Amino acid sequence: MIFLNINNLNVSIEGKKILNDFNITINEGEVHALMGPNGSGKSTLANVLAGNEDYEVNSGKVIFKDVDLLDLNIEERAQKGLFLAFQYPVEIPGVNITPFLHASINSKLKNEKKPEIDNLSFTKLLRKNAEELGISSDMLKRSINTGFSGGEKKRYEILQMSILNPEFAVFDETDSGLDVDALRIVTEGINKFKNPKNSFLIITHYQKLLEYIHPDYVHVMRNGKIVKSGDISLATEIEASGYQNF
Amino acid sequence: MTFENNFINHSKEYIFLDNDILSNQRKKIFKKIIQKNYDKKNNESLKNITISDLSKFNYFYKPIQEKSQVSLIDDFNYEIKVVNGICKNYEDDNIEIRNLTSLDFKSFLNQDNSNVDDIIIDFNKIFLNSGFFFNIKSNTKLHIRLIHDTSDNFTIFQNNFINFKKKSEVQLEDHFNLTNNSINNINYNISIEEYAVIKHNIFQNFANSNKLYLTSNTVCEKNSSYNQNTYNFSDGFVRNFHHAYLNGEFSNASLYGCFFLKNKNVCSNKTNIIHNAENCVSDQTYKGILNDYSKANYYSNTFVSENAQKTEGYQLSKGILLTDNCSFFSKPELKIFADDVKCSHGSTIGPVDESALYYLRSRGISKNEAMKMIISSFIEEDLQNLDKDIAEKISNNLSDYLNCLVK
Repeated sequence: MIFLNINNLNVSIEGKKILNDFNITINEGEVHALMGPNGSGKSTLANVLAGNEDYEVNSGKVIFKDVDLLDLNIEERAQKGLFLAFQYPVEIPGVNITPFLHASINSKLKNEKKPEIDNLSFTKLLRKNAEELGISSDMLKRSINTGFSGGEKKRYEILQMSILNPEFAVFDETDSGLDVDALRIVTEGINKFKNPKNSFLIITHYQKLLEYIHPDYVHVMRNGKIVKSGDISLATEIEASGYQNF
Repeated sequence: MTFENNFINHSKEYIFLDNDILSNQRKKIFKKIIQKNYDKKNNESLKNITISDLSKFNYFYKPIQEKSQVSLIDDFNYEIKVVNGICKNYEDDNIEIRNLTSLDFKSFLNQDNSNVDDIIIDFNKIFLNSGFFFNIKSNTKLHIRLIHDTSDNFTIFQNNFINFKKKSEVQLEDHFNLTNNSINNINYNISIEEYAVIKHNIFQNFANSNKLYLTSNTVCEKNSSYNQNTYNFSDGFVRNFHHAYLNGEFSNASLYGCFFLKNKNVCSNKTNIIHNAENCVSDQTYKGILNDYSKANYYSNTFVSENAQKTEGYQLSKGILLTDNCSFFSKPELKIFADDVKCSHGSTIGPVDESALYYLRSRGISKNEAMKMIISSFIEEDLQNLDKDIAEKISNNLSDYLNCLVK
């Protein structure tokens, strides 16, 4: 089974080409990091994978667990096991965290033809996972991301991931706006969740995040395509001399 | 039937007939309507309404008192059924309820003048066929559920007076059970005496063939509080025009409203708060969700008179447009003649927040469910301020509305 294979993906927005014959293969259990200068197309890739309808896919394929993701809508992709941790998680006043996440997990379970999780079991699971991430039970009574600090928003993204248990998670510049302590909490959450069955694509500008996460592969993206791939040493090279050599 | 025929043929059915002053007033108004003597461009009462449409109706009214009821659920909990504009006369230690009599004419004439040039009030005056008077006694703590039952084809032109005496604490609920093809032009005159605290919940949900024109004028005396919440789920035309006068210092009034429209529904809203005394607070917030080809307007007005120092007056309107074909016109207005005031207004109208929709869908929630969550969240915080029963009723109606629109 192909876990994730992106083949010659071309994407544009308002007529401007952003991804240009983009290719990558990610196997089960692997952690890939994607680095690149501003405007190279990293966030576009994350959004296209999640199904954001603002982008126009001109050509290419995104095979995930033997299915072309491009044939699925946003929610079907999530139900299939894809998770996008947003760079800027949206505040949704009035939509409470707990029923929202309960509905999310049940939609996934329903899609997998598994029995839905009842209120009580869900509340227990949510509290347990929240506690592990240092999220207070008071916060679980609040509206999605509303009034959260930058760190709280990112921690809440990790909480959602831990509940939804995706097979493939994309982190879009999750380190942006985080202080050192928040970064450590978030990366600990990711590391805790890592197992041989799930894979990650970590989009970042900074080596610091990768020091905590230890990716198997590091890719450099420029002008909508990967221009170099390697291991963590590539991140060290970028940290030292920037993207001018790529 | 033409407007002239309605007016002339049924003239014996109107109340206060024996009064010359009103008789002359009626004649003048009749002439004004016939001549269409209104400023059609700027008259807020004519937004989304035409004089011709208003004038075309079949006047039909027969007072039936037998079915009207006053039920005591317990010592402080009343259910009052007003049938075709008529209520049952009743009195106990807490409340006096009676239909209008010629004795009330003076109150009728002394109504405020902010409704000048309101065509709906003009219609109410000339066709006036019913009305009641409630007197809620001092120091009482009551819950009153008022049910307006209107039978098929009835045209109700009603003028009601409610006096909340000193230190009364009342939750008043208005429910409209309208059957078919009815016209309900109802004008409330509410007087709130010192230290009285009134919560007024108005619930509107009726079939397409009915029309409801609801107007209220509330006068607040010193240290009193008036909190009005209007929820409109109706398929038929609704006009909500509500005015409040803060005449006593340290009084407050809040006029909240939510409407949920679909198909070709039209709803016209106005709130108007006049600050006549110092240290008063007002809040006007209307929210609407519009689908299909529906249309709404909302005028909010705050007037702060010269002597109303230390006023706080806030206005807000919010709308979600679910299609490109619906429209919501909002016009806030503040007239401030005092210099030590805190006032604000804001208006946000637009489609459902796409980024919120994307976020929810990216967690596996279907587009329909995500839409429902976002729309429900729009009024979620308002429901928290309501009693459990009415909040539940509104939630159920909202679910029905959402199930209809998200197919």
